[in-house]
Amino acid sequence: MSRDGWRKKASEDDGWGGRGGYMAAKISKLEEQFQKDAPREKQKDGTSSCIFSGVAIYVNGYTDPSADELRRLMMLHGGQFHVYYTRSKTTHIIATNLPNSKIQELKGEKVVRPEWITDSIKAGRQLSYVQYQLYAKQKSLNFTSVCAQGKQDLLSTNDTSKPSPNHPQSDNIKPQPSHTQTLSKEVLRSTHANHTANFTERTNHQLDVRLNGSCSIIFEEDAERPRVNGIHDGDDDNACALLPGGSQDALLTNGYVHPVNGALKPQDSFAEHPPHVVDTGSHQSHLLQTESRDREEPSCSSAGSKSNSHQRSLISTASPAKQPGLHNMQKDLHPKLTSNPGTSAQKGNLHDHTRVRLNGSYHMTPNSSNLADSSNQPGRSGQGAEAGIISEFFSHSRLHHISTWRNEFSEYVNALQSRRRTAGGAVFSGKEKLKKLKANCSSGSLMAAPQVRQSCILHVDMDCFFVSVGIRHRPDLIGKPVAVTSNRGPGRVAQRPGANPQLEFQYYQRKQKQYRKEKTDGDLEMTPSPQCDEVPHNGVDLDLAALSMAEIASCSYEARQAGVRNGMFFGRAKQLCPDLQSVPYDFQAYKEVALSMYETLASYTHNIEALSCDEALLDATNLLVELGVTPDDLARAIREDIKEKTGCSASVGMGSNILLARMATRKAKPNGQYFLRSEEVDDFIRDQPVSSLPGVGRSMSSKLTSLGVSTCGDLQQLSISRLQREFGPRTGQTLFRFCRGLDDRPVRSEKERKSVSAEMNYNIRFTQVEEAESFLSNLSMEVQKRLEGAGLRGRRITLKVMVRKPGAPLEPAKYGGHGICDNFARSVLLAQPTDSGQLIATEAIKLFHAMKLDVKDMRGVGLQVQQLEGSHADPSGQGPSRGRSIKDLLLAKQPAHSPKKDPLAQDGLTSPSSSRAFSNQERVTPPSSPPSTSSDPMPGTSKGGFYHPHTPNHVRTCLNVSIEVPSPSQVDHSVLEALPVDIRKQVEQSWRHREEQPSTSSHLSTPPRTSSSPPPGPSLGTIVLQFPNQPGQPCTTGIILELPDFSQVDPDVFAALPRELQEELCSAYRNKGNAQAHVQAQSSAVEQKNTFPQLKQPAVGKLKRRYKKRNASPAKKGPSPQKKLFPGNSPAKSSPSKMLPLPLKQPGLKTENVQCPSSSSTDVPETLSKFNPRPVPTLAGAYEFSDIRTLLREWVTTISEPMEEDILQVVKYCTELVEDKDLEKLYLVIKYMKRLMQQSSESVWSMAFDFILDNVQVVVQQTYGSTLKIT
Amino acid sequence: MTTLTRQDLNFGQVVADILCEFLEVAIHLILYVREIYPSGIFQKRKKYNVPVQMSCHPELNQYIQDTLHCVKPLIEKNEAEKVVVVIMDKEHHPVERFVFEISQPPLLSISSETLLSHVEQLLRAMILKISVCDAVLDNNPPGCTFTVLVHTREAATRNMEKVQVIKDFPWIVADEQEVHMEEAKLIPLKTMTSDILKMQLYVEERTLKT
Repeated sequence: MSRDGWRKKASEDDGWGGRGGYMAAKISKLEEQFQKDAPREKQKDGTSSCIFSGVAIYVNGYTDPSADELRRLMMLHGGQFHVYYTRSKTTHIIATNLPNSKIQELKGEKVVRPEWITDSIKAGRQLSYVQYQLYAKQKSLNFTSVCAQGKQDLLSTNDTSKPSPNHPQSDNIKPQPSHTQTLSKEVLRSTHANHTANFTERTNHQLDVRLNGSCSIIFEEDAERPRVNGIHDGDDDNACALLPGGSQDALLTNGYVHPVNGALKPQDSFAEHPPHVVDTGSHQSHLLQTESRDREEPSCSSAGSKSNSHQRSLISTASPAKQPGLHNMQKDLHPKLTSNPGTSAQKGNLHDHTRVRLNGSYHMTPNSSNLADSSNQPGRSGQGAEAGIISEFFSHSRLHHISTWRNEFSEYVNALQSRRRTAGGAVFSGKEKLKKLKANCSSGSLMAAPQVRQSCILHVDMDCFFVSVGIRHRPDLIGKPVAVTSNRGPGRVAQRPGANPQLEFQYYQRKQKQYRKEKTDGDLEMTPSPQCDEVPHNGVDLDLAALSMAEIASCSYEARQAGVRNGMFFGRAKQLCPDLQSVPYDFQAYKEVALSMYETLASYTHNIEALSCDEALLDATNLLVELGVTPDDLARAIREDIKEKTGCSASVGMGSNILLARMATRKAKPNGQYFLRSEEVDDFIRDQPVSSLPGVGRSMSSKLTSLGVSTCGDLQQLSISRLQREFGPRTGQTLFRFCRGLDDRPVRSEKERKSVSAEMNYNIRFTQVEEAESFLSNLSMEVQKRLEGAGLRGRRITLKVMVRKPGAPLEPAKYGGHGICDNFARSVLLAQPTDSGQLIATEAIKLFHAMKLDVKDMRGVGLQVQQLEGSHADPSGQGPSRGRSIKDLLLAKQPAHSPKKDPLAQDGLTSPSSSRAFSNQERVTPPSSPPSTSSDPMPGTSKGGFYHPHTPNHVRTCLNVSIEVPSPSQVDHSVLEALPVDIRKQVEQSWRHREEQPSTSSHLSTPPRTSSSPPPGPSLGTIVLQFPNQPGQPCTTGIILELPDFSQVDPDVFAALPRELQEELCSAYRNKGNAQAHVQAQSSAVEQKNTFPQLKQPAVGKLKRRYKKRNASPAKKGPSPQKKLFPGNSPAKSSPSKMLPLPLKQPGLKTENVQCPSSSSTDVPETLSKFNPRPVPTLAGAYEFSDIRTLLREWVTTISEPMEEDILQVVKYCTELVEDKDLEKLYLVIKYMKRLMQQSSESVWSMAFDFILDNVQVVVQQTYGSTLKIT
Repeated sequence: MTTLTRQDLNFGQVVADILCEFLEVAIHLILYVREIYPSGIFQKRKKYNVPVQMSCHPELNQYIQDTLHCVKPLIEKNEAEKVVVVIMDKEHHPVERFVFEISQPPLLSISSETLLSHVEQLLRAMILKISVCDAVLDNNPPGCTFTVLVHTREAATRNMEKVQVIKDFPWIVADEQEVHMEEAKLIPLKTMTSDILKMQLYVEERTLKT
């Protein structure tokens, strides 16, 4: 077959066959390392030999001994160990088990069991691997007489050991005439081995007897060739093995698998191979380190992260049975082979292999990959790969880290500020220093600073941050053109098949032109970065094919002089500036330096706005006034400080506003400072190019160019109306102001987030819809994590998808990149803000389906959540408070505020109900009542964790608000004595307190049990003492998550419980009581909302349910209603009256409103309460018709005379049914009541029914114009 | 797996299709059960897995079909509040009104699997309820006719007058006489609540039919 044919095949498959220089470089580096380490290892071990000389193994999956041990053995015995499989160089693949797809890929390779190596070492010579082959292949090959002997041996072997006769022996060995030397040797060995081997063992392993004669020769040939060839098959395997469950789930292997591999931290690698690090000594760890560094390195610039591609992309091809990389490999082999004399046979062989590979029959071995997983990463094998992948990607992706640094630093600044707030004034070391300095120099003329209080903003920007950090310990590079990039080679790589960089380049060029042409297009790109005047098309030129596509993250000023720009591809940059030195990424250092920069800044003031990891704004207005120094002095001090602490230079621009400060920085750079005085502003800004204005990106500047505007001075000539016409009202005005140097944006240390999103547009290659769906779910979980991290919920969910532009090449020029894409976005507005990943996922998947895309063309996926609001609404109405912890609030604000923020209040629905339940007590709650519970042990509550130990007094004030205790006379003293000491103390304390305030305490004792009621059982009493008023709310604090309404606790059941359980329940109820006490404290705004007396709402509890009717309006409170209602009831039934809300009656009441961030509460999902826009009508919590019926029956049969309130409840319920358009149920209810009540011996019931019916009929009449027909 | 959202264009259509299909079955059945037409013109068919009666009179069928065809666009847009099958006596005074009250819940989304089987279940229940409704209704006087009314939401009527779905088959505003029923009694038959649709069927019956 011709070379072209192969190429075609490769690109047709899916284009993943290619590879770049990165992998080649990596492999060669690994090889070098291996060579370097080998002698050391030999020395260490003492034993060494050369039995494996010429053998290069690649270990695939789990083996025993492990891959690392094998590597060591190979070192010791003169072999080669390849971390990545290279068809041309790797002579043997070591594996014990291979999945089907792998077998297919590796068909024709020497796949050998590891015993081959150990046995060979034992034998002291290289045994024939034939014995140890894992699988045999079906081949029809030309077979020469050279190995007749071996053949016969094999024949007999196979006859005895193999049940399947479908492997003609003549196919098993196919030596090449041109390699007879090696081959015959092999064969001889194989014959020898055949005699000695244990045949039965092989019955499960088919023999692969393909002698790939070309291996050794090609190996030698390859030595001189640039090592850009065949790499990847091995890579796949590696990647697969690294990914737990990767091959179990094909969905996973696409697109988002790579993060795991690509962004592995060194720690991870160590974690994966802990035993080996120990075993094999430093070289191993060294290797791992380098390897992992290799992997991370690229991930910092967009280019970089993309160049992880190799590992990543290959995964995507790993699971499908077809392996395009393989075809590539074949293709690569071909030219070599043809140059080889006498290789026509070989060529034929190769063809045969491929053919055979494609139609061979294999069995799936899914567990093989599992084995591989567990072997390669013991630390991780249990981890569910699926869910964690995206978050893992984001947690490992350095690029992502850098992008989040800004938030981190913002939060750092926030933390500083709140610390200052709480500590009542921070120590500003830098400020002090400056002060001293000033004091020292005050005699001199230096301090002639005019004390004009003019606002002054400092813009501190590190000079080419990545570079200066990268070279701060390499003085040799100072003053040289340096670029930070992942590429280290000459800047050239081979072009991957399937990619068409020219086309992309042309596209971008066209697009560029288009931008210029489109004058009226209103859709503008607002790029926040002011540095958009860079080479727009990335410096791509037409011979880019051969150039490295690694992007330059940052380059030194020397390099910039040569025309190199940030973001340029390294290959192109190298052309522009041949001396360009490349420096690898060093994320740890970046972070260190950035942090120390921020620390330095924070030592002067806390009015810092973090712009990025190397850039910050300072509002120095007050500082300057306080110190009485000039801005220049301050800037100098700051710069010196930074230089001293970080070893990197920073530039400072100063101006009266942010805009001017930033513009001044441009002038200040590099390593300088510039104070743009207000009197200079006009002249200064006139000459500035428009593109230096923030918000003026490429598209806008081209548009402006078309208007004849190139500088701000030109822009000033345009009228505001013109600008607004061209750019829209807001942008127009902003431009109008900016070009005059006006900017009223404040320095915000705390920024409100507008959206939370997660996006991946790298290496997205789906083959099936399910893959995309599960990717979306994972992405949603990441969004959830971020939302939670920010403490926000959003209502609008936007799905952004990048889709390959029709006609664009299947494979972009950039490896794994998205290439030319169309962007699509769809959004949905939810009824309620959410931060639930699941919900977001379902919505996103719906949106995704609605877009009706071809998943294969998807190149990027992003999820964005907008319309954010704080997930813990904040009572003071400040909107989302980000990065502020409850602790801060507690510390910073007055104690009076703290209960407001009480997270316990967020006990779901508790708030409205309990607030109402407590409403009348609340007013009289003695603020100084004894700390009833603070001294209690509270097992299983979250309070201990929530309240910071520093604030015990808050706890106290919060907790003692109201614990209801019946009056002493009503308490059975034996019960009291039986109580735990602390509870008893608490009760007694309340009594004491009540005695002190008799006027209010009478209020407190809500409907006390009348003496006529039988004495409660002891255990019940315990609870009653503590919590007479417990609406059935799930208690989120503590172990007991769902407590039934206290009154529903069947005393018998309770008494039958083991003592520990009883105590636990008691404490749970007590906590609930506390929670409600908190609610009560803050519920004044909420309480009036629920004034309907309700039938008791039976909670779904663990304990026995009981439906009882009771109600009491606040006015009617007292023992009497109960007495009337429940004559002769059991003690449990005569517990104090209840007022419970229907869930229906919470108009606009958001439960989130009363909750606060806290360690415990944020974890509690509130989805239950959230998505219930129109609750079903319930009667005392009952909703199913059967429950209603039970309730009614109990009501009618147990009570001789219905209470008016109860009747009204029923009427209300019926009315709701009408409103809910559920006439059927209404009809059934009415008919049931009719039967019940008219059958009742008491005529009151009959009257009651008539009353109900009349009322219902009125409602029905009003609604439907006719009345119910009651027969 | 397909999921549908209200944002989907065909969401309303799906609901309308399901509903109109059901209404057709229901109208035939009502006509049969209430003995508006001689039982000879009805044939037993199977729908929703239960036996139903369907007229085989082509003109009647055409009328019902055309009517529902015109109802469909309204349902698609969620503009139909009620579809009423009115049974009138000889003097064209209604004696019974079978009211299908339709409200589409503001719920966000549905998934197709749960939808179809569940909705079918609910519709089946409704059909069964219709087939036994004569037990709770008084007999109709002889010589009854029927008509179909639609109660629209808001200003949908105006559009209906402008746009004729089927030529020469326009909607006309109902007579007050047809709508209004003296001393009506309301007999709820069935309420169904599903993800896509909430519908209740009740009968308003004139107290004195003869």
